[in-house]
Amino acid sequence: MLESIQFVIVYTFMLGSLYLLMSLGFSIICGVLRVFHMGYGMIFVVAVYVMWMLIKDFHFSVGWAILGVFVIQVLFTLIVVYYPIVRRYLDREELLLTSLILVSLAVEETVNFFYPTTAGVYIPTMILPGALKIGQASIPYQLLIASIVAIAATAIFAFFLLKVKTGLVIRAVSQNIEGALLMGASVERIYALAMILSVLPPTICILIIAPVWSITPYLGMDLMMTAILVSILGGLGNIRGSILASYIVGFLAAAVAFWVNPRLMGLATLILVATVLIFRPQGLARSESLW
Amino acid sequence: MRLEHKRSRLVFHVKNLKLEWAIEPRYWRNPLIAVAGLFLLPLLIYSRPDYMTLLTTANIYAAIAIPLSWQMAGTGRLNFGPQFFVGIGGFTAALLSIHWGWGPWQTLGIVILTAACFGILISPLTVLAQGLYFSLITLVLPLIFLEITFVFADVFKGEAGLSGVINLINLGKIRITFLAACYISLVLMIIYLFIVDKIMRSRIGLYAAAINDDEVVAETCGLKIGRWKMICFVITSMMIAVGGWFFAHYYGTFAGTTYLPLNFMIKILLIVLIGGRGEIYGSIVGAYFVAFLEQALTALGPVHHIIFPLILLAMLFVLPEGLYGIYRRHKYREYYPTMRVRKRSI
Repeated sequence: MLESIQFVIVYTFMLGSLYLLMSLGFSIICGVLRVFHMGYGMIFVVAVYVMWMLIKDFHFSVGWAILGVFVIQVLFTLIVVYYPIVRRYLDREELLLTSLILVSLAVEETVNFFYPTTAGVYIPTMILPGALKIGQASIPYQLLIASIVAIAATAIFAFFLLKVKTGLVIRAVSQNIEGALLMGASVERIYALAMILSVLPPTICILIIAPVWSITPYLGMDLMMTAILVSILGGLGNIRGSILASYIVGFLAAAVAFWVNPRLMGLATLILVATVLIFRPQGLARSESLW
Repeated sequence: MRLEHKRSRLVFHVKNLKLEWAIEPRYWRNPLIAVAGLFLLPLLIYSRPDYMTLLTTANIYAAIAIPLSWQMAGTGRLNFGPQFFVGIGGFTAALLSIHWGWGPWQTLGIVILTAACFGILISPLTVLAQGLYFSLITLVLPLIFLEITFVFADVFKGEAGLSGVINLINLGKIRITFLAACYISLVLMIIYLFIVDKIMRSRIGLYAAAINDDEVVAETCGLKIGRWKMICFVITSMMIAVGGWFFAHYYGTFAGTTYLPLNFMIKILLIVLIGGRGEIYGSIVGAYFVAFLEQALTALGPVHHIIFPLILLAMLFVLPEGLYGIYRRHKYREYYPTMRVRKRSI
């Protein structure tokens, strides 16, 4: 029993941190733009496959490839997602959501066309091979590193939002657009900035976990579902709520996996979120502000 | 029978009956022409069972999209999980047919009843959950159902799906059977079209328009919005479930992985959007367009997976009013509830 409690604690920490890193970008978009980014999954896909393309077909070194991935991600988000779609359909949710889903479908299928699942994609970003052994269970060191990076990234975001002036403007826009406009904030630029900020955590996340994760062109959908569920539970666009929610979801997943049945992990999370939505639709924290 | 030409119209006299037909094309919005066309179409492609299946699928897509259009207007909410009820209908029919050997017409009643029960269970959400939250819950529901089909794989057969469902109709010859199934789907769609069209032009349609426009004002005018939203949700859910019933009996199999994931929902939602929001006739145009486009593009080989979403995206950009919008632009705009998704602060 003591051992299983140990497992659950370690896994709660690990899963919770991973979920946090996955959903951070989603929460930022929800909090600032107040829209639902249904194409969030393609950020993961673009990150992994651009990295693979740069290394394999353009023979970049790993360092340059990582830099290249971030540059392409930012350009892709601005040129393909933000300016043509998000800015255009900001007030028409049904068109916005459908267009984003379509773009992400097109991206997935394009990737699948050039690099199908059988292409054997391997991202050489392994920092520490091997696994931590606790009794009979083992956790790859890479995932533990990802968890620590997740906490560090969240801390940097929190510092940025709370202590840097641009962060203050972002919070102002997220709280009240008219008020922020009156104070001289350039809402359009803040939106673009939020879109750029939102691609950073998922890109970092997938680049670190890629060596130990199963990489297919369709990996985005599952990761996006996790991000959506955590964000809903956390109160759609409140980062404090998201932190709490990701550890709750992490605990639930770990506890169900160890004590009930690993197959019920996904179902338990879905039921928890659906129940919370019915009884407390605003989520754990109210989404009046980003922080 | 006597034919008479009177200024702008043709008048047919059949015994005591007098039928009039406007000559001027702008008054040709008689859906009878379109319906007659749809009935003739299967006869033209009678020799091609693959096209027949395509037509049947398009009809059922439309039969799911038509009630969904009504639901969106009548509840003022964007339902992201219509496939939940397709799943309910399909699994109920498949399980009854496999375990108890029930035929399609026996399962139909139970399918409608089951869908009504689930509809009643979920309908309070249309009042409780506002705007985006309703969309989110409906998005999550089919995914929960999909997880359940995996967890209880001994009942729902998870990935592979249930097979051995009794066929919808069997008339011996394969072509005749396909033709009959196609006409059954067509009749189902036309019945839905007729019902929803009549409802939208009636008092209840006016209520739906009022609720869709502004719930507070509608309530101030003395409308019991909670009741009408729930009634609308339950009835449309039952109608959508029949689509699942048809799929189960038509293909003889029913798998959660085909109908419950987001891909199927996107197709239905696109049919509604590309046809024209809140336009029930547009749903048919959209369903045929999407089904035919998907089929036509397969000739291009594996690239069609990329081109299909891109074409649909281009359509959303170029025709925000939908395909039906092109037609409607040239005639006077009749009163019709437009679908607007509530945008409240989240």
